[in-house]
Amino acid sequence: MNALSQTTSGTKAVKAAVLLIFALLLFAPFLFQDVRALEVAARVCVFIVLVASYDLLIGYTGIVSFAHTMFFGFGAYGAAISLKQMGPGWDAVVVGALAGMGVSLIVAVAIGLLSLRVKAIFFAMITLATASVALVLASQLSDFTGGEDGITYRAPALFKTATKLMLDENGKVLRVFGVKINGKLAAYYFVFFSCLALFVVMLRMVGSPLGTVLKAIRENEARAEAIGYRVVSYRTFVFCIAALVASLAGTIYAIWLKYTGPDTALSFAIMIDILLMVVIGGMGTMWGAVIGATMLVLAQYYLRDLMGAAAKATVDIPILPHVLDPDRWLFWLGIIFILLVYFFPKGIAGTVMAKGAPR
Amino acid sequence: MTVQPSLETRDLKIRFGGHVAVNAVSCAFHPGELTVIVGPNGAGKTTYFNLISGQLAASQGQVIKSGTDLTRMSPSARAQRGIGRAFQLTNLFPQLSVLENIRLAVQARSGDGWRILRQVAGLTDLAEQAEHYLEAAKLSGVAHLPAAALPHGDQRKLEVALLMAMEPDIYMFDEPTAGMSLDHAPDVLDLIAGIKKDTSKTVLLVEHKMDVVRSLADRIIVLHNGELLADGAPDTVMSSDIVRDVYLGKSAVPA
Repeated sequence: MNALSQTTSGTKAVKAAVLLIFALLLFAPFLFQDVRALEVAARVCVFIVLVASYDLLIGYTGIVSFAHTMFFGFGAYGAAISLKQMGPGWDAVVVGALAGMGVSLIVAVAIGLLSLRVKAIFFAMITLATASVALVLASQLSDFTGGEDGITYRAPALFKTATKLMLDENGKVLRVFGVKINGKLAAYYFVFFSCLALFVVMLRMVGSPLGTVLKAIRENEARAEAIGYRVVSYRTFVFCIAALVASLAGTIYAIWLKYTGPDTALSFAIMIDILLMVVIGGMGTMWGAVIGATMLVLAQYYLRDLMGAAAKATVDIPILPHVLDPDRWLFWLGIIFILLVYFFPKGIAGTVMAKGAPR
Repeated sequence: MTVQPSLETRDLKIRFGGHVAVNAVSCAFHPGELTVIVGPNGAGKTTYFNLISGQLAASQGQVIKSGTDLTRMSPSARAQRGIGRAFQLTNLFPQLSVLENIRLAVQARSGDGWRILRQVAGLTDLAEQAEHYLEAAKLSGVAHLPAAALPHGDQRKLEVALLMAMEPDIYMFDEPTAGMSLDHAPDVLDLIAGIKKDTSKTVLLVEHKMDVVRSLADRIIVLHNGELLADGAPDTVMSSDIVRDVYLGKSAVPA
């Protein structure tokens, strides 16, 4: 009776990789003791949740939406505006999170009910249009949103770098393995555990009977309807859940960054990142989101460094240093992406998990 | 008959542009009765099924199940009210396992589709029910394979098993043995014969193979050019001239 969780050698490999990423993120502040690494780790956490919630749509249910960043932005701007207006307190965080979720839910229900009945391509276009409107609004309502400059604000006092969570015998901030137990650390673990909780909720969801219905809708919408599932309701529901999770991810990221602007929360560049992550990682498996988000964020932050080192190492060889110049990192990212899609047509997790599976 | 029909179509009609695919078909079906629907290709048999199960919306007329008008309902609402339909072209969830396919039908009926807090692995009653239908359809050995990986004959069996797992009041089979080899077809026919034994169920069957028709039918209706041409006991219908002309005369069916 092991039908529902068929384990192949590939599945084990993917789960091991995910476990490794989990461990690295859990101990990130102690393993990588520099500011940039912690920024990367926090971004990985947030994007895992964002990509996993998008995968609920595109990978599990087969809904193509381009409005996912918009919901992320609602959550981020909700927290940003309330933290700016109400001052850095937990009440502002709660108000901001709820406001973001409220707006997300209303917009998601509206989009869902109006357009989930239409063909997939029209639905995708409608989400694209809605997201464009949101982007324009964010830049036009500058009194409220800070326009193109965005909003800078302070996070709750607990997350200030100067906050000492534990003191040693001299009254200075306690260090564990050389890491200061300060507000920055608290902020990171706030991000980590919030994201972990959201991820676990989604994992439970896809493992529930509802998760199978979503996959059934992806596989054969007409038959799902014929055996008694109201497809429109299920689609609207999952669209709302994905929107709410994306909104919360936005709130979490806004609290971490202490800055929210179009580039960090609303731009189409983020939407493209999400799409790349879900494709690279593998659609229709939560593990794919973990792998895809981790790999792309790492590449975005460290490919340039890597290329800089490579260019230096090859300085004596003609042409090569120019090809490997850090300025060309996007070119190389593109090549890596093409190779990944070529060798892992179902994404890394999807392709690896298929190994050893019954065909 | 004075008994209320379990399923009834009244003046049912659908037009595709200028073409009338099903033309004013009025017919009542009763529990414990297996009706075979015959007719040449293009007679409107599958379209008639689509109108009953809701894949197509009628241009005119009504579909009534046990007194309830289903005409304006979606396919899922009709399924929830006991209309079960298997398809002529295999119509499964290809990348899901055979067991998952069946479980979907089981949980659709039990209303577990919205259960979000329980994990599938923990819902053993769902799995047990699904296993039961798998066994009935002799598919237990391939329960963990994706449906797409099954040979055609097994896919047909799964199609029938899906319908059984819905436990509908009305069973509609659209050429269930189409494309099956001679040694596999009896498995499906046995399943249908088993359903027929339950006198609370109404069975509609589109079938071309005459030996199948003879062995299973309580009643035969003939559709031709979308119209109901004949309706009656198998012997009477099969021997009538009109049927011979439109149906038996045209296709080479061995006697």
